[in-house]
Amino acid sequence: MGEGEKKPKFAVDPNSAKFKLNEIVAKHYKEVQEAKDRGEKIGWCASNFPQEIFQTLGIKVCYPENQAAAIAARGAGQRLCEISEAEGYSNDICAYARISLAHMMVGETPEQNMPLPDFVLCCNNICNCMIKWYENIAKELNIPLILIDIPFNPDYEVSDAQVAYVKSQFLAAIEQLEEITGKKWSDEKFKEIMEISNRTSRAWLEATAYTKYTPSPLNGFDLLNHMAVAVCARGTVEAAEAFETLLEEYKKAVEEGTSTFRAEEKYRIMFEGIACWPHLRTTATGLKSRGINMVATIYADAFGFIYDDFDGLIRAYCNVPNAMNLEHARDKREAIVKNTNTEGLLVHTNRSCKLWSGFMYEMSRQIGEDCQIPVTSFDGDQADPRNFSEAQYETRVQGLTEIMESNKGGKD
Amino acid sequence: MATLNELLENFHDIACSPKKQLNAYLKQGKKVVACVPVYTPGELIHSMGLVPMGAWGADIELKESKRYFPAFICSIMQSILELGIRGEYKGISAIVIPSLCDSLKCLGQNWKYAVKDISFIPMTYPQNRKPESGKEFTKASYERVIRDLEAATGEKFSEDSLAKSNEIYNEHNAAMRKLTEVLEQHPSITAVQRRDIFKSAHFMLKEEHTALVSQLIEALSQVEEKKSKIKVITTGILADSDGLLKIFDEHGLQIAADDVAHESRQYRTDVNLELEPLEGLADKFSRMDHCSVLFDPEKKRAGYIVDLAKKYKAKGVVVLLTKFCDPEEFDYVMVKKACAEAGIPIIQIEVDRQMVNYEQAGTMMEAFIDML
Amino acid sequence: MFTLGVDIGSTTSKAVILKDGLEILATSLIKAGTGTDGPGRAIEAVLAEGNLRPEEIASVYATGYGRKLLKNANGEMSELSCHARGVHHLLPEVRTIIDIGGQDAKVLSLGTDGRMTEFLMNDKCAAGTGRFLDVMAGILQLRIEDLEKQADLSKQIVKISSTCTVFAESEVISQLANGVEIPDLVAGICQSVASRVAALAKRVGVKETVCMSGGVAKNGGVRKAMEQELGLNITYSPMAQLMGALGAALYAYDKS
Repeated sequence: MGEGEKKPKFAVDPNSAKFKLNEIVAKHYKEVQEAKDRGEKIGWCASNFPQEIFQTLGIKVCYPENQAAAIAARGAGQRLCEISEAEGYSNDICAYARISLAHMMVGETPEQNMPLPDFVLCCNNICNCMIKWYENIAKELNIPLILIDIPFNPDYEVSDAQVAYVKSQFLAAIEQLEEITGKKWSDEKFKEIMEISNRTSRAWLEATAYTKYTPSPLNGFDLLNHMAVAVCARGTVEAAEAFETLLEEYKKAVEEGTSTFRAEEKYRIMFEGIACWPHLRTTATGLKSRGINMVATIYADAFGFIYDDFDGLIRAYCNVPNAMNLEHARDKREAIVKNTNTEGLLVHTNRSCKLWSGFMYEMSRQIGEDCQIPVTSFDGDQADPRNFSEAQYETRVQGLTEIMESNKGGKD
Repeated sequence: MATLNELLENFHDIACSPKKQLNAYLKQGKKVVACVPVYTPGELIHSMGLVPMGAWGADIELKESKRYFPAFICSIMQSILELGIRGEYKGISAIVIPSLCDSLKCLGQNWKYAVKDISFIPMTYPQNRKPESGKEFTKASYERVIRDLEAATGEKFSEDSLAKSNEIYNEHNAAMRKLTEVLEQHPSITAVQRRDIFKSAHFMLKEEHTALVSQLIEALSQVEEKKSKIKVITTGILADSDGLLKIFDEHGLQIAADDVAHESRQYRTDVNLELEPLEGLADKFSRMDHCSVLFDPEKKRAGYIVDLAKKYKAKGVVVLLTKFCDPEEFDYVMVKKACAEAGIPIIQIEVDRQMVNYEQAGTMMEAFIDML
Repeated sequence: MFTLGVDIGSTTSKAVILKDGLEILATSLIKAGTGTDGPGRAIEAVLAEGNLRPEEIASVYATGYGRKLLKNANGEMSELSCHARGVHHLLPEVRTIIDIGGQDAKVLSLGTDGRMTEFLMNDKCAAGTGRFLDVMAGILQLRIEDLEKQADLSKQIVKISSTCTVFAESEVISQLANGVEIPDLVAGICQSVASRVAALAKRVGVKETVCMSGGVAKNGGVRKAMEQELGLNITYSPMAQLMGALGAALYAYDKS
C-alpha cells in the first residue's frame, strides 16, 4: 500500500527495495482489475488465507484488509465507516469490516479502489470477526464463500486433529475454486509456489531480523508498509527479490552505520498491535521526536511462513499470532524482545480488534515482568480515526520514555 | 402435584439462586462443571456423572475484570470473569469455555491467570461443522474435553453413559420445545416467569428440569386464558434482565417465541440416537444452525426469525442486542432487511449486564407498540 | 374545551394548554425536571398564563420520563408519539424529526398522516447530546446560550474528531493550548454533535422535510452544522422544546 499520502519530493531509486515493493503493490491492484475486466473470476481474500492455493491455480485475488488500511491511511476511514453505519452496522464492529462493507455498497473508492469479488476466501486464523464480515459480503453479493476454518489453538503445539481438519479444508477449497473458476490444480506448480513462498518468507524474516542491531538500520514503522507485500505477493518471485534487496540494503546500512530512522536512536521499543493507520504520522512522530525506534514487532514473525512439506504448510497457517494461546504468543514476543534489546513495550489497544486486545493486558504484563521492561498502552483504532486521542498518546508515550530513561540511568 | 403458582415460584427460586443450586449439588457429593455460552457438550459432561451448570454471567458491577478486559468486550464475558475472580464459582471443578467468538477465546486465555484454582477446559468447535472432517474435529475436541474432565474430576467417561445422557437431553429438548408451544397459548405467564423457566434449566440436571416442565405443562392445560396480549418474537444472546422483562409485562407484550441463545437456541437440535453416542453428539453440532456464532454464508437466521414471527402471528420482532457482541451486530443488518421485506416491524434495544436504568428502553418499547 | 399536556423530562418540565384541540392557549417551561417540584410549577405557570383554573381543564395527559409520577393525569403517551404528534400539528410537511435533548438524541420518521413509522434513540453515550455541549461550554467558560453566537463568528472550523466525550474534551483542551480561535473551536464542537446525530438519522433514513426539536435545537450553530451534514435545509420551530407537551395535549383532546 505504500504511503500514498503525498508524492515523493525526489525520485525513488528504481533499484531500491522501496521502489520494488511499491511497484509490487501497484501491480497487484492493477492485475486484479485487469483480470476482472477480462471477465475472469476474481476474489476477495483474508490476509492469512493460504495464498499457495490461488497462486497455484493462477487465480487473482485482492485483500480487503490491505484496502481498508490504505483507505484509512489516506484519510477516508470515517467517510466509509459512516456509509456502513448508516446501513445499520454498529460502530462497535471492526473498522476494516465497516470500510470494506461500505466499499462493497458503493462499488468505487478512489483512495484505494478494488473490483468487487466473484467469490470470497475466508480464513479465521486471524479472527472470527472475518467470518461474519465475509458471510455478509457473500450474502449481499450472492457469491460463494470458501472458508478455511483454522480454530484458535488453546494449546502450545498444533494437534494432529487440527492438522487433519485444516488439511481437509485446504483440499476442499482447491476443489471449490476449480469449480468456480475453471482453473486446474497442478502439483508441480504447487511445489514451485511453495518454494517461492518459502524464499520470500525467509528473506522477510532475515530482513526484519536486522532490527537486532543497535542502532537499528531501519525505522521499524517502515515494516508496517512493507508488510503489504508480505500479505499480497508472498508467492511471487518479485516479492522474494524485493525482500532480498531490502535485506541487502539493511546489510549495507549496518556496515555503513546508516539507518532509515532519521533521528538519534535513544530508546528501542516493541510496538504491539496493528498500526493506527488513520494517525500513522502522529503516532510515528510521537516516537521519533523522542528518539524512540520500533525494533520489535510480532509482524516480523507473522509472515515468516516457513515449511518443508504440505504438513508443515498447514502447521504454519495454524501458527499465526492471533491463533495461538497466550503462552505461545507471549513466548514469541519475549524472544523478539530479547533478540532486539528492546527496552519498553508500547501496546496499541485497538478498539477495532477484540481478539488482539482481549487478553493483551495480561500478556503484556507477563512480557513486562519476564523481560523486565516497562509497559504502557494507548487507545486507538486500526482504521476509524474517531477512536484516538493525540493528547492521551503523547502522555502515555512520555510516561514510557521517562521510565526507560530512568532505567538507563540505573544500568550505567 | 404442585399448583401452578408453586411451580412458577419454584422456577423463580432456582433461576435466582444458582449458588444455592451449586451448594445443594455439592452437598449431595456431586461434582459441578460450569458451562460458558454459547454451546458446550452438556450431554458429555452429564454422562460422566457431573452436573453441568450454565455460567452466563450476572448483572453486577465490573471491577476486577477490568484488569484483564478492555471496556469493549461484552459484559457477559466480563461478568463471568468477575464472578470467577470474586470466588463466586468456588466449589466448581472446572469451567468449559468454547471458542465460538473472539471474545470467548479471550475469556479462556484470561481465565487461566485470573482464576487459577478452577481449571479451564477449552471446547474448540469447528466452524466448518458440516463436512465429515468437521465432524471428526468436533469429535476430537470432545475427546479432549473428556480427558480434561477426567483429570479435573477423577470421573471416567463411557459411551454407554453418554448414550443415556443423549436420550435425557433429547427428552429435555422436546419438553422445552413443547413448552414454547404451550406458553404461546398462555399469555398470562409473564415475561419474567417465562425467563425463570428457561433460566432455571441451566442450573439443574436436565432430567430434573424436564420433570418440572412436564408438571408445568400439565398445570397450564387446566388454565383458561381470558385476555390476550400483543405477541412479539425476541432474538439475541440474553433476555435476562428483570428491568427489561418488566417492560414487556407492563406494556401487555407476550413473548410468543424466542430466538435467544440462552433460551430456545439450546433446544432446537436433538442427537440422532441411532449413531454411536460420541459420533451422534458431533453429528448434532453439525446440524445446528440459525445462530450468530454458527457459520452460515446464507444467513438463514434472518429468514428463520421471519418464519418464527409468521408462525406465531407475532406483531413484531424485538432484537435484544448485547452491547459489544459483534456476531449479533453483523447479523442484525440481515435480520432487519428480512423483516423489512416481510413487512414485520422490528426494534433493536441494546442491553448489557450493567444496565440499571430502563427508562429509555421503556420509552422505545412504548413507541414500538404505538407503531405495531 | 381545554386540554393540558405535561412533558416531564430529565432536566425540564413543560406544559401546554390547547383550546378545542387546535389553538395553543398557553405554554410554560420550568428548568426542573422529574423528581423535583418542576412539574407542579410548570402546571401552575401555564394555568396562570392561560388564566384558567384547574377545574376548567377537561383532560390532562402526561409524557416524558417522569410521566408516571404525575398525579391526576387522565392518561399518558410515550414521548416519541407525543413529539411526533406535536410536530405534525404545527409543521404538517415534516417527515423526519431530529430531537437532541439533554441526555439523549432521537430521530423519528413520520408518515404522511403524522404517525411515527420508525425511530432510533442514542442513549448510551453523552456525545451527540446536550450533555456534550454542557461539558464543552464548561471547558470554554461559556454559557450554553453563547455558543450559537460564537459559532457564527467562526472563520475556519476546528474539527473535533473523537467520538468519545472524554477524548473530545482533551482534544478541545489541547486545541485551546494551541491557541486556536474560540469561535472556530465552538463551530467544531457544534459540528461534532451534528455529525453524531446525523449518523443516527441516516440509519433511519432521512426524508424531507426535516425539522429539529429538543433543547439543543435552539442552538443555531448545531442546526447549521446539521444542515451541512445532511446537505439539506432544516426547519425549526421556536416551540421546539414544547412539542412533547403539545402532543400530549392533542392526545388528551382525542381521548376525551
